Parts: sequence; C-alpha cells; structure tokens
Amino acid sequence: MQHTNHPDRLHAPGIATPADFHFPDAEKHITQQGIPVFVIHSGTQEVVKIEFVFSAGNLSSEIPLLASAANELLDEGTTNYTSAELAEALDYYGAYFQTESTPDYAGITLYSLNKFVDQTLPYVADLLLHPAYPAKEIETYSIQGKQRLAVQLNKVDVLARRAFFSTLFGEQHPYGRVLQPEHYDTITTENLKEFHSKRYKGGLKAVFVSGLPGKNTVQRILHFIDEAGFNPSELPDFSSSLPGPQKVFVPKPDAMQSAIRIGRRLFRRKHPDYFTFSVLNTILGGYFGSRLMSNIREDKGYTYGIGSGVVSQHLDGYFFIATEVGADVREAAVGEIYHELKRLREEAVPEGELTLVKNYMTGAIQRSLDGPFALAEKQKMLHLNNLDSSYLNKQLFAIQSVTADQIRYCAEKYLQERDFTEVIAGK
Amino acid sequence: MIQFERFTLDNGLVVLVHEDTSTPLVAMNILYKVGARDEDEHRTGFAHLFEHLMFGGSVNIPSYDEPLQLAGGENNAFTNNDITNYYLTIPVQNLETGFWLESDRMLSLAFTEKSLEVQRSVVVEEFKQRYLNQPYGDVWLKLRPLSYKVHPYRWATIGKDISHIEEATLEDVKSFFKKWYAPNNAILSIAGNCSIARARELSEKWFGGIPSVQIPLRQLPAEPQQKELREEEVHASVPNTHLYMTWHCCSRAHEDFYATDLLSDILSRGKSSRLYQSLVKEQQLCTDISFYMLGDLDASLLYLEARIVQGVAMQEVEDAIAVELEKVKTDITERELTKVKNKAEASNAFSEMGIANKALNLAYYELLGDASLCNSLQEKYAEVTADHIMRIAREVLTKENCSILRYHAAH
Repeated sequence: MQHTNHPDRLHAPGIATPADFHFPDAEKHITQQGIPVFVIHSGTQEVVKIEFVFSAGNLSSEIPLLASAANELLDEGTTNYTSAELAEALDYYGAYFQTESTPDYAGITLYSLNKFVDQTLPYVADLLLHPAYPAKEIETYSIQGKQRLAVQLNKVDVLARRAFFSTLFGEQHPYGRVLQPEHYDTITTENLKEFHSKRYKGGLKAVFVSGLPGKNTVQRILHFIDEAGFNPSELPDFSSSLPGPQKVFVPKPDAMQSAIRIGRRLFRRKHPDYFTFSVLNTILGGYFGSRLMSNIREDKGYTYGIGSGVVSQHLDGYFFIATEVGADVREAAVGEIYHELKRLREEAVPEGELTLVKNYMTGAIQRSLDGPFALAEKQKMLHLNNLDSSYLNKQLFAIQSVTADQIRYCAEKYLQERDFTEVIAGK
Repeated sequence: MIQFERFTLDNGLVVLVHEDTSTPLVAMNILYKVGARDEDEHRTGFAHLFEHLMFGGSVNIPSYDEPLQLAGGENNAFTNNDITNYYLTIPVQNLETGFWLESDRMLSLAFTEKSLEVQRSVVVEEFKQRYLNQPYGDVWLKLRPLSYKVHPYRWATIGKDISHIEEATLEDVKSFFKKWYAPNNAILSIAGNCSIARARELSEKWFGGIPSVQIPLRQLPAEPQQKELREEEVHASVPNTHLYMTWHCCSRAHEDFYATDLLSDILSRGKSSRLYQSLVKEQQLCTDISFYMLGDLDASLLYLEARIVQGVAMQEVEDAIAVELEKVKTDITERELTKVKNKAEASNAFSEMGIANKALNLAYYELLGDASLCNSLQEKYAEVTADHIMRIAREVLTKENCSILRYHAAH
C-alpha cells in the first residue's frame, strides 16, 4: 500500500476491452397462434414490465394520425369500463400504463408492482381487446392534440425535423407524412375501431415480460393471448418513387436559434456496410467527444449540442445530423458540418481516435444490457429485426475489427455532399 | 431496497457502496454540496457554468472525456438550486479510470482561458435553446422572482441574466472551485459490480490524499412568510394561454414533506387524479394540468401549471382550481389515500432499476441526512394520515401564500 495517497496521476490506469458479451437467454414461449412471448427474469425489485407490440404503426395506416390515435386512445374507455374507471383502477394499484407508436410498430406497456399484477393485468387485457373509442374522448384528444401541435410548431427543431422527413421520403410516404391540425378532424370511433380490429387483434407481433414476474403471471399472459384470439401479422410493404436530395428553408423570423438537419436515406440494419457505417457515425457525431461536438460545440461554441444518428426502419434507413445554433453563426456551422464530412472522406481516422470510438461503442453496448428493462428492450430490438442473441457478439467483433481504410472508404461511399438533403428552420 | 456500506475517509469524503454482481458495469456518482442557491446575486448561473468547466481538463489530465471514452465509459452531470451532481458508468474492468478522472478534477482543474471562453458561449447557447427560444421557456425566469423575494431560489440555475455568464472571469471561476470543491463537501457513491473492499481500496488510493478545506458556513436568508397574493401578467407570442401558480411549502427534509407530496399526488398524479379528471376530462377547461412539489433542501414550492383550452376564460379555470383546492382541505377518502401510497411505492421501486439511479439515490439521501432513508421511504409514506394531508392543504393552499403568473397568448 506504499502508493496510497500518492497515486500516479500522470498516467492513465490500464484498461481492457471485453472479448464477448454475456446476454442472458430469454425464456421463450409460443402461443397457440404462434405469437412469441419472451420472459427476462432479472433485477432486484419486485416489479414487472409487460410490453405488447403490434404491427400497428403509421406504416399500417393509410390516414395520418390514425395509428397513433388508435394507440393513445386505448385506455380512454372500453365497452366494460369508462376512461375514468380505467385510470382509477390502474392508479389505485400504483401501475403505470404507457402507449407508444413508432413509424412501424405500436405498443402498450404495463409497469406494475408484482403484488398487484393480478389486479392490473385484467384491465390491460380489457383495453387491448375492447376499446370503445368514445366520441367524447376523441374530442378531448383532438383539442389536446391540436394545442400541443401548435406549441410544437413554434420550435425550430420540430420544424426542421418535419421538413426533413417530408423532403427525404415525400409527403405521401408513411415515413414522410407530417401531422397537420386538420388530421384530428378525420378521426372517428368507426375508423379507430376498424383499425384496431385489423391491426391490433390481427397484428400482435410479440410480448416482452421483464423484471421478476411470478410463474402465474407468465401463465396468465399466455392464457390471455390464447383466449383472446390475437393473430400475428407482418408489416406491409409500401413502394413509391422517392425524391432526390434537396435544400429546404423553413422561415421563422423571430427565432434566436436556427435548427439544422442534414442527412440522407441510407440502408437497413442487415446491410453489409451497417456496422462500419455505425462506427463512422459515432466518430462523426455519435458521442460527446465526436468530431462535430469537438469542432462546433467545444471549439467554436456555436451550439449547446450537435449529433448524428443512423436509423433503421422496416422499409428504409436514414442518416442525419441535427443541431440548433445561434442564428448569426448558422452558415458557419453548416460549413463546418460539410468540412467534417470531407475530412472523413479524405483522411484516414487516426488509430488513437479509432480505438477510442471502438471502446466507447463496446461500453455503450454493455450499458444497454444493464437491468431487466434494458435487456427486454434489447430482446425486442433483436426480435423485431429477425436477429438472434449471437448478433451482439457479431456486432462486437465487427466494431473491434474495422480498419481506418474501411471507414474512409465507407465515408467516400455514403458521405457525399451531393447526396444530402439539407433543412434549415429559423432565420 | 438498496443494500449499502458507508465509510468516511480522513479528509471527510463520505463513500457509499452498493454491490450488484449481476451487471458488468459500475456507476460512480459524485455529489457536490453546492448549487445555484450558493451564488452571489450579481454572479448567478455560476454553479452551472462551473459544471461545464469540470469537463475542460483537470490539473494532471488534459481531457476528461477522452480517457473515459477510451475505457468504454459514459458520463453526465446536472446542476440544480441545491447541488451539482456528476455521474459516470464504466465497465467494471476499467473502474480505476473513473477514480483517476474524478479524483483529479476534485484535486484541481486546468483552468484555461480557452476552456472558459468556449463554455461561456456553450452555456449562452443553452440559455437560448432551453429558456428563450422555446414557447414558455422563460416561465421559471419569471416565476422564481415572483415567488421568492429574499432567498436565492429567486433565480434559476441557468442564471438571472445572460450577462452574468458572459462576464464570468477566470478568477471568479477559480475562487468558486476553491470554496466548494473539496472531499469534505462531496459524497461519493459506487453501485455495481465492485466489492466493498475494492471500492475502499480505490477510494483511499485516489481520493485519500486530497486535502479538505474549510467549507463556508451556509447562511442563506430565510424567505419571509408571504402575506398577500402576488400576480403577474405576461403577454407573449405563444400559441395558447397558460396559468402558473406556486405556494410556499416545507423543505425536503421537513417532517411534513411526505404529507405534502401525497397532497400533490391526490390532486395531480395520474389520469385519475382530481385536477385532471375535473378540469381536463369533465369540464374540458384545460388540455393538461399538473401540480407537484419541487422538494428543495430549503423551504420549497408547490407548483401548478394549467394549459388552457383555447377560448376558455382564465377566470373560469382559476375558479375551477379553487373549487378542487377547497375540497381537498376537508375531504380525502381512505381509498384515495391508499391509491397515492401505492403510487409512491411503485414510483420508488421503479426509480431503483439501474445502477446509475441507485448510486444517485444513495448520494442524495445521504445528503438529506442518511443514505438508509432510501430504504425507509415506504414507511414514511405509510405513516401519513388523511388528516395530516388536509391540515397541510389548509395551511399551504391559501390565497396569501400564492403567486400567480398568467401567461397570455398574444394574437
């Protein structure tokens, strides 16, 4: 212990990277209709999270808003209980109920104390099967939605995001449609019920149970699905001609900051370049020490934050860079973004930086496996993408073995300015 | 339930350790007992600006982030009116990197002009992005000085005014560090796959040699009792009219905290709560309404926010709120009481799901007096009676104790 209190502060302690990840296998049940139910037993708290995922996102709806309204209004009254009764029952037992609608999928989640799950689950079962979509609740929902939208439309980052999607995919595309106030007037009890019957009863994709559920809980869920007669379904396809890259300006003259969103359509998770590109993305804008953050925040002080991301969806993937900067430095910031793309195309990433990013990404995957809910989230990602648990170690190997040359080649292929759509909102 | 051990180093650093062998990670949380309430009123926003500077390199290590990322770690920090809190998570095999980094920046910072200059402009952009360039973003900048006249809670963490940040000098920053950043003004908590013995060895090795300093005695002026209703009208180009109200209430450590917290839950937690059912669902006066307690270390506030349906008169909303506030003073059912207690139990259970949350909870409850408080919350809530809640409602929810900010949409 002679070094106690006089440690060597000038040199970093040694570090190690893991050779593989341990991803505990989920217990998998298959219902009579062939719907998988994954159970992840883990954690220290006497709680359970139950998530039902349906092929019922925007992609499955021809009318904008219908998919998210059908999802968000599930707990606003059933043929057996009013909205107030449902809220009272779930609150009484301390449960949390959450709806979620993504472009591809929609889901609902129950978070419950274990000791009350027998009381809370029947209400969730009821609202999944018998939503009434009462006219009065639709009216309240529409008033709320329109006012919330009005607030959103005052934010430059929201304006930029909307324009980005409609420009990238086209306004008719399920990923390119943006919500307008008048869409709230198209929602009716009838079209919601029809959507529910088709996409929920006929579209249960999978169920994910995590925490410390008892054996009975799992049996009850399996029994409920069998009895209810849910059917599985796959996501629909959609084809349309996609627009080319464009530059769009959305004026907001009173803005103090301008929002910038620059990106392009890319590929989906199974593409051979996906892992290499994900490393490239991290170097560019995927972590706090990224090139965009170092240059545009830490060196120039133009912004509070800037980042980039890769998104893989059912029909298509895309890549984007997003930030909000002082309106007076907007052009300079855009210039710096393109400068960083150019550097990645032309110069090999130094070994030190590449090692750092590889290790950071490895740590990020480990962090994404911390705790039962995180494990369930990972299991969901794997299942919805038709992957098995060996994927994580493939990902680890791919990240750790990528070379600077491969990254530069990938940048040359995918980070060409001419392929990018550029949206500015503000002034 | 979080099992933990506590030890204190000779220099006064309190260390709390929770061992969880089911994770490949460790979370380290360092809470410094300094927040916006400790600022000079002419130099506000300093605690938060300082949080940014803590990432600008320390005395022996030019960059904080690089070595952490190289070790697969991730970190962040937040500042509020009471504390500045830093946390990281890192794969267990690289835990020592976390100790090396955190201890060096407790020892001393690099303090360069460049780092100060950049972080000043980053914080100015943050001020714009979060407080000025958002509809209703400036609410707290107005509501705090309306609610507090004397206590430093009258300014927001980001600061009273952008100019305070813009004018910060390197000398100001250095003296702030010397005053507050020391082992005897911090709490270190470690949660994850690390044994108590290892945590103790690493704590001694890296933090043991950092000298303690004389921490100034905190003598903040108590906010005098409010004697009359305060009102302020704002007209701004926002889409909808909002109503904001505050009432002075007890501090986080006060014995009335749990009853006050449950009072706010009865009124506003969950869709079945009274204000939501009455104003949003039954009367359709608001699109949303929330009411909660801030839970500060000094005498705190209850806060209400109502988003008013277009075309509905402000007065009608205020009247409807008044009806609910009167009711809760004399009528709370046993079922309602059980409901909010169940909700509190669930919310505590769910707040302990990840190691980072566990580490933060331990440090925060230690700050309140004893980390083991986080394991007795359940009992504290269970003891609360309906009578106690109604008494708090009668004492606190009065007109004289209230401040109202009416935020009108100017068309």
